[in-house]
Amino acid sequence: MKGTQLGEFEELVLLIIGVLFPDAYGLSIREEIIKQTNRKVAIGAVHSALSRLQDKGFVKSDLSDATHERGGRRKRLFSITAEGKRALEKNHELRNSLFNQIPEVALKGLNLSAI
Amino acid sequence: MPSNSLHKVPKLPSKIIQWFCKDELLEEIEGDLFEHYQVLREDHTKWKSDIFYWFHAFHFLRPFALKKFGQNSNIIIMYRSYFKFALRAMWRQKASTAFNLLGLILAFTVCGLIYLHVQQELSYDKFHDRAEDIYRVAWMNENPQTRTPHPMAQAMVSDFPEIESAVSLSPIYAPGLTKQSIKLTLEKENISFNEPDGYFVDSTFFDVFDFKFLEGNPETALNSSWGVVLSKSTAERYFGDAPAIGNRLSFDVNTDMLEVVGVVEDAPVASHFHFNFLISYVSLKSLNFNDPWMSWTDFGHFNYVKLKAGASEEVVEAKIPKWATMYLGWPEEAYEDLLNGIDRFDLQPITDIHLTSNIRWELEANSSYTYLFIYGVSGLFILLISIINFVNLSTARSAQRLKEVGVKKAIGARKTELLSQFIFESTLTTYVALGLSLLVIRNLESEFNNLVQGQIDVGLIFSTQSILFLIIVASITALIAAIYPSFYLNAQKPGDILKGLSGKKIGGAKVRNTLLGVQLVAAIVMISGSLIINEQIKFLKNKDLGFKQEQLAFIELDNYEDKSELMKTNMLQISGVESIAALSNIPGGQFNQHPIYPEQNPDNRVDASELFLDDDAMSVLELEIVAGRMLNEKMAADSAGTAFLINETAAKELNLEDPVGKNLFWVDNENLVKGQIIGVVKDFHFKSLHVPIRPLIMMSRHRGFNYVVASLNAENYSMIIPQLENEYQKIFPQNDFVLKFLDDEIEDLYEEESRTLLLTSLLSGISIFLSIAGLIGIVMIAIKQRVKEIGIRKVLGASIGQILVLINGRFLIITGIATVVGIPITWMLMRNWLGNFTYQNGISPLTFILTAIGLLALIFITISAIAIKTAKSNPSLALRSE
Repeated sequence: MKGTQLGEFEELVLLIIGVLFPDAYGLSIREEIIKQTNRKVAIGAVHSALSRLQDKGFVKSDLSDATHERGGRRKRLFSITAEGKRALEKNHELRNSLFNQIPEVALKGLNLSAI
Repeated sequence: MPSNSLHKVPKLPSKIIQWFCKDELLEEIEGDLFEHYQVLREDHTKWKSDIFYWFHAFHFLRPFALKKFGQNSNIIIMYRSYFKFALRAMWRQKASTAFNLLGLILAFTVCGLIYLHVQQELSYDKFHDRAEDIYRVAWMNENPQTRTPHPMAQAMVSDFPEIESAVSLSPIYAPGLTKQSIKLTLEKENISFNEPDGYFVDSTFFDVFDFKFLEGNPETALNSSWGVVLSKSTAERYFGDAPAIGNRLSFDVNTDMLEVVGVVEDAPVASHFHFNFLISYVSLKSLNFNDPWMSWTDFGHFNYVKLKAGASEEVVEAKIPKWATMYLGWPEEAYEDLLNGIDRFDLQPITDIHLTSNIRWELEANSSYTYLFIYGVSGLFILLISIINFVNLSTARSAQRLKEVGVKKAIGARKTELLSQFIFESTLTTYVALGLSLLVIRNLESEFNNLVQGQIDVGLIFSTQSILFLIIVASITALIAAIYPSFYLNAQKPGDILKGLSGKKIGGAKVRNTLLGVQLVAAIVMISGSLIINEQIKFLKNKDLGFKQEQLAFIELDNYEDKSELMKTNMLQISGVESIAALSNIPGGQFNQHPIYPEQNPDNRVDASELFLDDDAMSVLELEIVAGRMLNEKMAADSAGTAFLINETAAKELNLEDPVGKNLFWVDNENLVKGQIIGVVKDFHFKSLHVPIRPLIMMSRHRGFNYVVASLNAENYSMIIPQLENEYQKIFPQNDFVLKFLDDEIEDLYEEESRTLLLTSLLSGISIFLSIAGLIGIVMIAIKQRVKEIGIRKVLGASIGQILVLINGRFLIITGIATVVGIPITWMLMRNWLGNFTYQNGISPLTFILTAIGLLALIFITISAIAIKTAKSNPSLALRSE
């Protein structure tokens, strides 16, 4: 069923929303993504991901007061919902558990600099 | 941050976002973009920031942000459901859908092609920049002609302030005035062709006409003597892609006589004359300045004038008669007819020439409005028949959808909504048909051009004008087809409909039958029209022309040296050549003419066509002498060309009771020839049957022999022709061998009529097919409605025959009425067409009787074939269910 999965970019956005709390909105999220990951993303791409996250119920949003630098427009501030938190945790646990299941041998032979 | 330090964002992308993005997202999107723009402007120039702004704005045009047009618009939902209903209805009745489409495609294709053809015919000579100011001067006497004296053009420019420029031109004629092909040779490459359509023209040619120069200078090109301007396609034949200018070409045997001084675009298809090469008259004048052909006495050139913008041609026309007397140099009394307006110099608008002018010496065969009218009417009839079929089938079909309409009305659909649904459906069908017919038209270019001997460019169907025309035609069709059924259905009460009136009362029978009648009228007009055209052509072809046409081959001679005797002797050796003669003109072609008058009555001048021929020509052509004797070159007068034969018409017009032995003057321009009439020839049709027989004078003149005519033994042409060519090449090694059969040439005279026949036959075939198919649809409905009635009649003892008569009766009456209406229409239309002919077959009542009987029989058979099943079926099957 659509809505239960968390895409890679969505997860990134969701994490950043958490990082930026309580000041996460479209533009600040984009800037944070650029700063933290060096990925160039369009504002529209961020909004698109936000709208998907909201559809899936992982984030909720409220409108702030109008500010001058936005030409008198309000911001939509995002925060993680309980479900969002669960989804993040699930992803995190899944990743850790999978990582821990990798046998030592598999990693040992690797040239570490290549990782 | 003070408010005035905020940067304004670009307007257009903001607008786009406002149009396309969801309203609830708009604020945050715009807000983010705005804020981002402010940041951008800190670090970047305005234009760079603008580009970034555009980039980000465009990135919002993705599905999540776009307004959902489809889902929350009533209109979209409504049309989507109409579309679905339409597709379902079309799918459910595949046969009638296919038939509807087929009929409409046929009609649109026919209309589109005819439209293109008519457009092209109407566009003749409009390609000149100021075509509306260009006129040709024509001489309108009792036997009007296009040709007028050469000096006239330039005299008009100098004497009339209204005239801006003028040009005189003439095709290069051989003696006897048959158009002559000139052999042009590029010596260094040894390329040579026989070029038809060479013209002598004034140096002002390009002042009057607009032909685009590809090489050379239009101002000076024609000033030099023996300079030649080639058309593009001609230049390509000799020089390929290389520049042509400056090269020399040989003119017949005159080595390197011509210098190429220009290359111009070929004249478009829609031009009343086409040229391969142009030579300035300057060249001729340098040879023989006193050529009478170049003087006022010879009406032998085509003169065109270009009026100043806004000048009136009527003013000029009114001034010409008085003015012309200063130059023409006729005896005083000869001006009488000119001054009192019996004979006139007319200015023919150049754009009208192709469709209205059919006088002597047209540069190329012209058409006439009559043909456009016939084609146009045929196209309209096919369209009408098709629309009617569409309407009839739509009403019939709508009756089967009564329940759907009833439910819709019960739920609360308004009349306008039902109407719009029906219009939507019929529009859908017509536009699908229109699209498909465009495809068909595109693929029929060469077939259609072959059929009408036209050169239409179907690419033009995609021009705005043609598409508009077809869209209008299609929309009108769709509207008509939708309006009637929707009004009919709208008129019913939903309760009645749902109670089930479908079986009993599929209404509109009266309207359907009326429409059927209209259809049949159209079909009758077309069928009897093509029968009449057919009769007339048969009449022309079978009419005794007064000379032999079969098995006669004409071979062109080079009349620069008279080798006709040698040619005759040599060719007569070939077995299969029965007899052979030399003469100047091919019967059916153009003839030169000059005045003749009897010595005893010099005032009685008659214009006579002339034919030069040798002793044998009379017998080869099987011409009959009614008085006097044939030519005999052993007699001095005969070989000197002072013994004349005249035809009966000439004798009559000269008022000579007993012409043989009388002296006659033949005014060969300034050369007055006095001779004696030695015989009278029975009238024969030396011109096409479009014109009456005119006076003709015949004599011997060796320099005038353009052809030898050989009577061949029919069985082995393929053996004889190469031998003829062989003999020809021995005598004229440099020339191309050109052989024509007389019967082919005569047939070509009626090409336009044959083409019309072919087209109208085809169109009437289509029209009868469509009408009958429409009739089948109607009859099926009628039978369905009367199944019970037929059952009861059978129970009461009616025979199958009686039932067939019952079903047929109404339709045969409709056909009868249609015939009665159709006949006078056909009669009027065809009288008009037959008016083009001097020799008319008349309209035989038999044609109409045949059409009526044929149509009645066809309809009777069709209906009976459909009805026989119902008539034979067991009545209990029809009666057991209610």
